[in-house]
Amino acid sequence: MSEPALGLRIRNLQAGYERGSPIVRGVSIDAKRGEIVAILGPNGAGKSTLVKAIAGTVPIDSGEVSLDEEDFTARPAHRMVSGGLALVPQTDNVFTMLSVDDNLRIAAHGLSTAQRRARFTAVFDLFPDLARQRGLAAGRLSGGQRQMLAVARALIVVPKALLLDEPSAGLSPKVVAELFAKLLEIRATGVCIVLVEQNVRAALTIADRLYVLVEGRNRLEGPSRDLLADPEIAALYLGGARRAAGETRA
Amino acid sequence: MQFLADGLVAGATIGLGAVGVTLTYSILRFANFAHGEFISWGCYLALVIAGAIGAWSSASVAALGALSIGANVLAAGLLAMALTGLLAIGLDAVLFRRLRRHGGSITAVIASFGAALALRAALEAIFSSRPVYLSQELQIAMRIGGLRITPDQLALLGVAALLVGSLQLLLTRSNAGRSMRAVSENPALARIVGIDVAAVIRLTWFIGGALACASGVMLGLVVQIRPTMGAELLLPLFAAAILGGIGSVPGALLGGLIVGVAEAATVQVIGAEWRAAVAFLILIAVLLLRPSGLFGRAA
Repeated sequence: MSEPALGLRIRNLQAGYERGSPIVRGVSIDAKRGEIVAILGPNGAGKSTLVKAIAGTVPIDSGEVSLDEEDFTARPAHRMVSGGLALVPQTDNVFTMLSVDDNLRIAAHGLSTAQRRARFTAVFDLFPDLARQRGLAAGRLSGGQRQMLAVARALIVVPKALLLDEPSAGLSPKVVAELFAKLLEIRATGVCIVLVEQNVRAALTIADRLYVLVEGRNRLEGPSRDLLADPEIAALYLGGARRAAGETRA
Repeated sequence: MQFLADGLVAGATIGLGAVGVTLTYSILRFANFAHGEFISWGCYLALVIAGAIGAWSSASVAALGALSIGANVLAAGLLAMALTGLLAIGLDAVLFRRLRRHGGSITAVIASFGAALALRAALEAIFSSRPVYLSQELQIAMRIGGLRITPDQLALLGVAALLVGSLQLLLTRSNAGRSMRAVSENPALARIVGIDVAAVIRLTWFIGGALACASGVMLGLVVQIRPTMGAELLLPLFAAAILGGIGSVPGALLGGLIVGVAEAATVQVIGAEWRAAVAFLILIAVLLLRPSGLFGRAA
């Protein structure tokens, strides 16, 4: 008997903003628990549309989304979080008029008081910067702090899968390194992380496996190390990443 | 200075109605011109229910203390608030929800004009245009700091403050309120973080309708009840909501009080024929000089 495939499983997903005009055209990916999977590809490859479709905010034409063997394909977007699937969008990912505390409380509305306190403690341990600014309106945080808050909010309900859409966009290399270090800590808790990135160099520092999408379809997949070992693939799809990753791993 | 007392009472009525306008606008992004009809419907519903309770229990009609109304009107007011809230949800379900799927906000605005006409015509068909009253008791005004004010008027100010204070607490301290503020700022993100946006929209309509009813009952205690009473209040409602800053609940009440006092002062100083122009002038002045209003956020 085979063991259950825990984690996120996407099969032949076809999705787009308008029915009949798919941007994602039959993509399949797997992300196991405790694994970071990076989705890479050129502009217009459908990376962001893919994670939005998985999270229920872009209509799915066909295919299957499941998490820990539970079908999530037709689940409404607002019920994804309670099922353990959280998305951190690329932009506008915090409520700027609400305080840091209220941003987190919004995600904690299904929890008991005791559970909420425990989760706040855990999240503030991971992001101590936020703990010092609980009463501050999120709109007054720096770009990096907002990204941390968006990730912290996604972690409040202990997700099984965390989808991040270009979390490094607009951040300085130092803040990106800090954020990605946090992602490694989150991975260690058994969460599967799907990371959409334009910043190939940054993604390769933490991803266990890569998927390369081109024109809404799977083009390449495999362990980061194997794909990087192929000079032709690295040059074609991963830009100058090979040398950078090699430097990082050295 | 008597205009101050009269204006504050009228302003509290306008303010409660304006709170509904500001909530609907900030969450659904359209100006609902049918909101005045919720005021009329709320008042008529309270009138019918109060009559039914009075017929069932004559003791309930006896005036409460110094007030001109009995327990039947209070109970009817509460029940009518719930029913008007449901009426607002119903109107959204049959009209605005469908339009949200296909049209933009301008479609909803035009549709709200149509809904207003239909709701007003229905009231006229059921009750006729003949004026009716919640209370015809004569009250003796008290003197407070040189101003004359009746016990009913004093109670109305207290009720308005209580309702707006409670709503402000709901918005800032409860999960439902936080969800409403979140949906107002970014509905797409609200969905992603697990908020049922459709439920928040229903709650917004319910609160807006219930407060419009409270405004209607308050209005019905001081003026004649007619099917056009809510429509006549529409311009002051929008002036108050925009003056207070769209999205601000305390701002809407304060805007209502300012509009009410300005109208009353105009009647006393210039003449009653200029009263209707005041709300319009305030509206234009705010839009020109400070479009974000007193407490609203800048666009």
